[in-house]
Amino acid sequence: MKLAEKNRYKWPLITVLTVIAALMLVIAVGFTIGFLSENPDGLERVLIDYYGEEWLENLFSPWIPFLSWITNDYVAGILGVVLSIAVLMGTFYIITHSKKRKLE
Amino acid sequence: MHIPDGLLDPITTIVLWIVTIIIMILGYFRMGKMFEKEDSEKLIPYIGVLAAIIFAFQFVNYPVPGGTSGHLVGGTLVAIILGPWASVIVLFLILVIQSLFGDGGITALGANAFNMGIIGGIVGFYLVVLFVRLLNKTSLKKELKVTIATAIGSYIAIVLASFICAIEISVGGVIPIEIAIPAMVFWHIFIGLGEAIISALIIFYIYKTKPEFITTESMLGVK
Repeated sequence: MKLAEKNRYKWPLITVLTVIAALMLVIAVGFTIGFLSENPDGLERVLIDYYGEEWLENLFSPWIPFLSWITNDYVAGILGVVLSIAVLMGTFYIITHSKKRKLE
Repeated sequence: MHIPDGLLDPITTIVLWIVTIIIMILGYFRMGKMFEKEDSEKLIPYIGVLAAIIFAFQFVNYPVPGGTSGHLVGGTLVAIILGPWASVIVLFLILVIQSLFGDGGITALGANAFNMGIIGGIVGFYLVVLFVRLLNKTSLKKELKVTIATAIGSYIAIVLASFICAIEISVGGVIPIEIAIPAMVFWHIFIGLGEAIISALIIFYIYKTKPEFITTESMLGVK
């Protein structure tokens, strides 16, 4: 890999690792110091207030989410970040190349 | 604001899927010229960083008074960095990944992308443009104008998205509209504050450190 290419990925890589480390730290201490909350979000709150929690949990879904078996926050957090990076970089790589090919 | 499966009626689900797909196709063609430049590959690692930041912020919920919580949606934030059309695609992809974890339904993906990507991203972006133009009449520094406009624009976009979400869920008869709208908007008046603060701080930080990553500066019309 050329030096210029290494430099291109150096800071993004450092930033991503910092984001993952910060996320792990926030998960580790966030609930303890009250910085994070496991309470329902706005939409869930409205539905729970109207129907109750059990109704919300029993809504029909045509599929079982592939990764819903992961209950550990740390694993889900890291996997989610890695998946997001891979999917977004892959998609925008394709978009950039297809746009350039059209121009040529 | 992630709508789960089984909440929307089939017509609303299909209509919002169609609208979202049309906007994404349109987005591909109307996406900024930055993706056609010779060195546009340079942006790709930073899109990866942005993906990591958005997912991380969406993953953690901050407490909101009244036993509720909120998290960053990031539509307006992404739109300011990458442009409004690109933000719909970014938000859609992040919502796809979140749905794999069970956060938001797969059939409701069109609706979620509409609320968070199109309302949060495109509408939010043009609200920021509006507020930047209003702030251009003041003597504030450029970065402050964009930061303040981001805070206001992203806040309004979230409250507006909650309003639209309330209409979507009440169309199918799940909750009467007269209950859904006030309840959704009430909670998002508080949740939106977090969105405004986080988005504004990130934009301010980027402006101070790497202003060239705000690729929409000319569109924002900041002076």
